[in-house]
Amino acid sequence: MTRNPHPDRRRVTPDSFAGHRRPDGRLGIRNRVLVLPSVICSHVVAEEIAAGSPGAVAAPHDHGCGQLGADAEQTERTLVGLAGNPNVAGTVVVGLGCETVRSDVVAAAVEERGLPVRELTIQDAGGTDACVDRGTAAVADLRESAAAQGTDGATATADEQTATLGDLTVGVVVDDLADSTRRHAYPLVAELVERVASAGGRVVVAGNERFAAHPEETRSLVGDAAADRLLDAAGRPARATRVGTEAAARGFDAATGFLGNAPVTGVAAYGQRVDETDAADAAAGAVTLLDAPSRVEEAATGLAAAGAHLVLHVTGQGTPAGHPIVPVVKLSGDADTLAAVPDDIDLDARETDADDLEAYLLAVADGDRTCAERHGLTEFAIARAGPST
Amino acid sequence: MKGRVLDGGALVLADGDSVATALEDLDAGREVRDGDRAVTLADDVPFGHKFALDPLSAGETVRKYGEVIGRTTAAVAAGEWVHTHNCESTRGRGDVAAEVER
Amino acid sequence: MRREFTGYRRESGRIGVRNHVAVLPTSVASSCVARGIAAEAGAWARATPHQMGANQPDEARAQTERVLVGVGRNPNVGAALVVEFGTEDIDAADLADRIARDGKPVETLSVREVGGTAAALQRGRTALDSLNEAAADARHESADASELVVGVECGGSDATSGIAANPAVGDACDRLVAAGGTASFSETPEFIGAEHVLAERCADEETRRRLLDRVERREATADLMGVDLRGAQPSPGNQEGGLTTIEEKSLGAISKGGTTPVRGIVDYAERLPVGGGLVLMDTPGYDVESVVGKVAGGAQIIVFTTGRGSTTGNPVAPVVKVTGNPRTWERMRSNMDVNAGAVVEGDATISEAGERVFDEVLAVADGKRTGAETRRMEEFAITEVHPRELAEVRGK
Repeated sequence: MTRNPHPDRRRVTPDSFAGHRRPDGRLGIRNRVLVLPSVICSHVVAEEIAAGSPGAVAAPHDHGCGQLGADAEQTERTLVGLAGNPNVAGTVVVGLGCETVRSDVVAAAVEERGLPVRELTIQDAGGTDACVDRGTAAVADLRESAAAQGTDGATATADEQTATLGDLTVGVVVDDLADSTRRHAYPLVAELVERVASAGGRVVVAGNERFAAHPEETRSLVGDAAADRLLDAAGRPARATRVGTEAAARGFDAATGFLGNAPVTGVAAYGQRVDETDAADAAAGAVTLLDAPSRVEEAATGLAAAGAHLVLHVTGQGTPAGHPIVPVVKLSGDADTLAAVPDDIDLDARETDADDLEAYLLAVADGDRTCAERHGLTEFAIARAGPST
Repeated sequence: MKGRVLDGGALVLADGDSVATALEDLDAGREVRDGDRAVTLADDVPFGHKFALDPLSAGETVRKYGEVIGRTTAAVAAGEWVHTHNCESTRGRGDVAAEVER
Repeated sequence: MRREFTGYRRESGRIGVRNHVAVLPTSVASSCVARGIAAEAGAWARATPHQMGANQPDEARAQTERVLVGVGRNPNVGAALVVEFGTEDIDAADLADRIARDGKPVETLSVREVGGTAAALQRGRTALDSLNEAAADARHESADASELVVGVECGGSDATSGIAANPAVGDACDRLVAAGGTASFSETPEFIGAEHVLAERCADEETRRRLLDRVERREATADLMGVDLRGAQPSPGNQEGGLTTIEEKSLGAISKGGTTPVRGIVDYAERLPVGGGLVLMDTPGYDVESVVGKVAGGAQIIVFTTGRGSTTGNPVAPVVKVTGNPRTWERMRSNMDVNAGAVVEGDATISEAGERVFDEVLAVADGKRTGAETRRMEEFAITEVHPRELAEVRGK
């Protein structure tokens, strides 16, 4: 069931795609201005700004205030990471003005990374109506300055650039250990991971429960220093206990068999960019493990913040989640799920080979929309490290 | 408004309070009269912020609403701005608990 | 002082002040569909998208269920559609049954059963239309202030909150309780340092013991995270507004509940009584989650004080914004409903401002739209029982 929703799109060659080159050299496969609320209190305003601005997308979330210590830091780091995703042309950070995760702090961190950003708050603007107006103007302003630098993909094709698999950072999350997933999807994903790595691309893998269940194997896979970061974090009680329990019961290979034989070189914290980890230099041509749970809504956010251009979501149950800034490709080998929600699953793992999967990802990188994108599914979550206060 | 307004510019919420709340932006040097005593502001005190009515030694409890709202982390002269730089919570101190555990 | 308004009489006997059709997703996986269905339908349909997972530990799941059922049962909801993806631990049919016990029209929709997202959006729309017709049958009749359950919240506080807005709203609460109604305030972290004052006002020993226990548990989250609570409480904006410590914030915060005896303290999203006087709820200080808890508890109206200028609302309950900061009233006029700043300027007594708040509550109960309603500010979030808290509780 490999389908191509836009069969008439023409790429230069079957193994290439057209991306958006950013002024700093990074390549994006989407070209959106991100309207990022720093707190739930500004999320309606962020959505209204995005709705009134062509080419903009909002990332409304439930957090940003009443958070303490490591929990607040993780939310802030994740927001900064999302703004740094290569699919993002620029970011407008919108705050209320009195929250724990401050919009000005987030914007300053984004700016420090040399990325285009604007910042405003509802309280400074003098209310929600004025903030929507100013935010809409800020998006337009970002678009214009991006166009001046020659990166406005919405109007120009000159800066579109031919790229290949090795230019991609592919996020992977497998949200179960079902038989159908292990039998049909694992070998496919393993081969894709190896192809991306050998082409010089990066693979980022979420699902810390799988590794937490097997500390020794994880240590020998990534080394003690990197493993400590993942395992310390995994020492925290997790939510997705099912994946952890099954990973422990079925063994390390059953838990991680989709990794293939690609080298695993590093560990990224949730919200951290892969190119800002200790092992950033070794991330190209290799796999980086992400300290993110297997729950797709949280995993996709962590993978996007890590810098993934797109996310490959392997799912037995067919959870339909997409994400505002990264296309999410659904791969399932579960007969019931494929029959139940055929329009929500991009690829049937039973009838797909590695060539098909690679071709599909390249088509998505070229602009083809995934099922979740076509349905407008952008509901996502940010993993929490502590309770609300 | 509950409490006692001083010179139209500050509010003492209860007798025995060690701080008053600015009802407008108050400039350093301004004299605020409270009955027969006067406090000269040592700092600018923004609207809604507090200044000491009496000198406080380091570690002394600070009172507002007739209750304890925290304790000083340094000696504070009368008329000085009282805020997070010289006053800390006595409650919700997970940081202190973590120190003790170490 | 006005005491009557016209509302929507429910089978349960409770009176609603709005007649919404709620669209309740059982997890984040069905939230997008719920949001989509409601957005297509129109302003009468109100979705409650949230980020809770399909598989939560039992305690966390029970809380998510309590919130969703509570919102469905809120008297402002005339009918409800429960939407599941189909793989959640929470069973949509079970939630629907619990909501329907009040005699309310409730339907369920499973994305997996109807064949996916696109089909669910279509089917959901049809289901909503028929639910809306059923909700339109509600009797629109006269009701009394004694039937109101008013939730009280403060957010984006500054020093004027404790001086003007909170005491004014407290005065309105006293009026409501005198009229025979229920007032409820929450935000347990904002009892810290003021709990002795509240404890003295508890009507019985059981309430007093529960109150002190809940405050201790909330304060322990700072120990759990190993940090000073001041990293979040008071928030950075509170601090800019002059609030230095949690004790100071709390002492100002508790005045928003008035001066009547504390009749009880209920759990997050637990049902609040009608005609119950002043009843507390154990919630985090995080505004949106706290407001949702009280709406799930049955509050038809939320009165929300804000010094800095919070603009949040709620999908099913009108939120009345009261500011005690004259500058905020000037600057954010379109998002504010009642000006208590006159108290700070010496132009009104707390009692006069309290009467204004009470009158506004009755006007809103009678159908007057708040600033947050006009602007469709409908933030919604469920507070999660975090795994770290669970580990603590289970460990003990």
